[in-house]
Amino acid sequence: MSAGVVGKAIARVDGRAKVTGAARYAADAEVRGVAHGVLVMSTVARGRIVALDTRAAQAAPGVVDVYTHLTMPRLTVPAPTTGYFKRFVPMQDENIQHAGQPVAIVVARTLEEAQQAAVLVIVRYESQTPQVVLADGLGDAYVPAPGSDGTNDYVRGDTGAGLAAAGVIVDATYTTPLQHHNPLEPSVTVAAWSGDRLTVHESTQGISNTQNALMQALGVPRENVRVITPFVGGGFGAKGPVWPHTLLTAAVARLAGTPVKLVLTRAHTYTSHGHRAETHQTLRIGAARDGRLTAIEHVVTQPVSRSDELVFNSSEPTRMLYACPHVRSTQRAVRLDLPTASFVRSPEAATSHALESTLDELSHALQLDPVELRLRNWSAVNQETGAPHGSNFLRECYERGAAEFGWARRDPRPGSMRDRDGLIGWGMATAAHTAGGRPGAGAAVTISVEGTALIRSGTQDLGTGTYTVMQQIGAQVLGLPLHAVRFDLGDTNFPPAFASAASATVPGVGSGVVRAATTARGRVVALAVADPRSPLYGVEPARISTADGYLHVTGQPSRRVSYRSVLRRHGQPIEVTSDPAPAALGYSTGAVFVEVHVDPAIGRIRVRRVVGVFDPGRVLNRQTARSQAIGGAIWAIGFTLMEHTLIDPHLGRVVTPNLSGYLVPVNADVPDIEVGFIDRPDPSSPALGARGFGETPMTGVTAAIGNAVHHAIGKRIRDLPITQDKVIAALS
Amino acid sequence: MRAFAYTPADSPEAAVRLAAEPQARYIAGGTDLLNLMKDGVQQHDRLIDINNLPLREITVSEDRVRLGALARMSDVAGHPGVRRRLPLLSQALLAGASPQVRNMASIGGNLLQRTRCWYFRDSTMPCNKREPGSGCSALEGLNRWHAVLGGSDRCIAVHPSDLAVALTALDATVTTLSAQGPRSIPVREFYLSPGDTPDRETVLRPGELITGLDVPATDRSAESRYLKVRDRATFEFAVVSVAAVVAVRHGVVRQASLAFGGVAPRPWRSPEAEQALIGRPLHAATVAAAGRALVRGAIPREHNGFKIPLVQRALADVLDGFGGRR
Repeated sequence: MSAGVVGKAIARVDGRAKVTGAARYAADAEVRGVAHGVLVMSTVARGRIVALDTRAAQAAPGVVDVYTHLTMPRLTVPAPTTGYFKRFVPMQDENIQHAGQPVAIVVARTLEEAQQAAVLVIVRYESQTPQVVLADGLGDAYVPAPGSDGTNDYVRGDTGAGLAAAGVIVDATYTTPLQHHNPLEPSVTVAAWSGDRLTVHESTQGISNTQNALMQALGVPRENVRVITPFVGGGFGAKGPVWPHTLLTAAVARLAGTPVKLVLTRAHTYTSHGHRAETHQTLRIGAARDGRLTAIEHVVTQPVSRSDELVFNSSEPTRMLYACPHVRSTQRAVRLDLPTASFVRSPEAATSHALESTLDELSHALQLDPVELRLRNWSAVNQETGAPHGSNFLRECYERGAAEFGWARRDPRPGSMRDRDGLIGWGMATAAHTAGGRPGAGAAVTISVEGTALIRSGTQDLGTGTYTVMQQIGAQVLGLPLHAVRFDLGDTNFPPAFASAASATVPGVGSGVVRAATTARGRVVALAVADPRSPLYGVEPARISTADGYLHVTGQPSRRVSYRSVLRRHGQPIEVTSDPAPAALGYSTGAVFVEVHVDPAIGRIRVRRVVGVFDPGRVLNRQTARSQAIGGAIWAIGFTLMEHTLIDPHLGRVVTPNLSGYLVPVNADVPDIEVGFIDRPDPSSPALGARGFGETPMTGVTAAIGNAVHHAIGKRIRDLPITQDKVIAALS
Repeated sequence: MRAFAYTPADSPEAAVRLAAEPQARYIAGGTDLLNLMKDGVQQHDRLIDINNLPLREITVSEDRVRLGALARMSDVAGHPGVRRRLPLLSQALLAGASPQVRNMASIGGNLLQRTRCWYFRDSTMPCNKREPGSGCSALEGLNRWHAVLGGSDRCIAVHPSDLAVALTALDATVTTLSAQGPRSIPVREFYLSPGDTPDRETVLRPGELITGLDVPATDRSAESRYLKVRDRATFEFAVVSVAAVVAVRHGVVRQASLAFGGVAPRPWRSPEAEQALIGRPLHAATVAAAGRALVRGAIPREHNGFKIPLVQRALADVLDGFGGRR
């Protein structure tokens, strides 16, 4: 392997196409004769349709047809293993299970005509009072049966005994609100049938999921469904599962006899692609006087819909992160009249927030520095599995982060640090998230007679840099210059890959590329050493190195031959395909330090500084990795200080279905964010020592902000978001 | 959005004539109107484009600033004469929207922007302002952003304009043109309280066109400040805001003109709070008394009670900077 291609800060290879508009997203697909679909959504949260009048809409200009549950074909509910999590397909009967459920689709020649006709669809409901308030339903909470992530009532040791042995016990209740993903690009389906073959241009994090769900819903063979996703304008989990609009669009395209494009409106995204469930969390942590944890009890209660019991807030860090003999981590559900919840970057953000905030409370109770508390409970192994981590430099993260932040200058007394305009708070927390551990990906490598490589995998690039880092991995393994390698993705005709989710792309797709490229390189080496005309003729293959487009004898760089000449002599391309193989579960961690400023007069909080030092194993690309960390920190500012989706308690409807009602940070809310990496390879990672990292950097920052606010004002605000009214109430 | 006709007007008189048609509406920057139409909150058969009318000038004279109704928010905010003579106006404008919106949005349109109340902005939810008699969802609903002063049992939506709050403190005058001819309306009388008719927001007659604003700039000794409290650093509407023009001499308040945003269905004046300041030394006790006078009669709902202490704190914060204090 040559040095240098992996690890550098390399700008996204698709960056120019994106900023010039050359990148074609799903909605940009040019499909001849495409008609436009617009959804009509239920305005009640619980009830049934008693009358539908589509005559005016059907008579409107340009309308191809209007589809309702009365005219739709019967669709099979795809199995949850396809990523279709909802347990019903809308528009199959008159029942309404949540507000914003599709009740009709208008298809028209132009988008404007479809929008205008959609307003003319008249739906009458018989509605019942919905229940949508978690606090009102806590008494009905129950522990759901084990799901795909295992038990919802994890027990290790005996927390009763652990608490009895504790010198200090901290009890706290934290809440986090319902939140949404808000990708820049809303979900898109463009469905085109040719006979009984379907091509779908989809904005998805998982083309294989989409293919499987369509196949099951429509009852067509897998090979008849092709899904294409060259670019995704952000997903954050919204596009990981498969949602009804995709199935419905494909079904109406078939009925209408014309390709149909459907783009969710911004408002529709708030009920159509999942959300992070609201949480109510109780924590009880016991520790010895020296800070060593004796017990953690963590109960997370969250809403589920009427027809599924998807819970995504099992507290992974509570189970895995800190050395603690007695742990109980329970997920409870409360059935409400809400849409199906799912995962949002990062699934552990809510539970990590409560855990890391309660640990801060513990550090105050013990009068022990919060960094020191965490160091004393550092674990060399995954506490849930008992297995050692492939590598773990979390202690080095604490040390370097604290040094870069200047943590030693912190006066631990709350309210003790101020400037002319108000109070300053310094807080810290641990960032931690699992990465990988999913089915992985295959990859196909083709080395052309020109000595260039094309690598293909049916994965996706959410904007995280998949095109770029896979190109780097391919170049590194083959020993080709970066520009001689192309990576292509987003087509179900390519070798299958798991969804771009769960921080699984680098370990899953990366290792698939490594496997295929390693085999392909071996073939080229074999050709070179077997060819009497080659300067490498007869050399032991293990003694051949590759770099910069050449094969050479290790230690003798001048005894070399180019990829190009080997392949030219061979006269045909070399093609190698690797099968998907599961990637080991990694654990990427970090330490985050935050400074906030609080204006006590009006309760205004500003995040002034964020320093994060992370251990993601080897860093494949410093620029894309750094961007992940910055993006995570920015989202964490939103998560902690402003984001929440509000549901009217009587109507059961989202009242903030746009980026004016749902606030995310703007540039003025975002301070300097310093990102550091330990950057040491994880020997257990088959992706050149790199672990998945996408979800780690949003954890930690949220609690660090909350802990900093406590340090500034001396009061703990346990209900997110921490808005100024709560600060004023705490200070009054 | 429904289809509509579009007609550019080439003079104010022609615009007013075109507006005689029922369901016609003027469009300038369109930064609010188009959203409302796309969301089905408002439907208009005809849009009369007034952007070509000669109403964009900003004139700064000895004792007043005259703003053409079509001057863009950014034109006014960045105008050197405005910044010098009426910094409050510039501050309030820069506290609103985003640079992109400010480049498009006109001064006249800013005054007529509709409330951000989400029950109003979703055309399928009950709202007396949008659909008289359909009920107010906010009274018993999610009302953290709603009015604590000046509301009625029909409507507690707040007026969203920062500019209107500043103009109220500055005692500006709106000039208009209608079929009955031109007229001037003090901005303090321009907005209506919701009462039983929250759908009626201003005293404008159907088809009446805002042509400009006259803002007095007489008292050169007065200090002014606009403070906007909101849920993120920028590009967000006020939770509460305060516009204050205060003259302090020898530590005593000689003049005080206050207006408040985010707390009422219209830019809110409080003569009682002003009276609590005038003639008194600008001490903490005076400020506290003004704050108490301001919120006398305030009606908190389930989620917005915090605005009552918050607006008093915001007022105190603003006054804290005046008369050499701090």
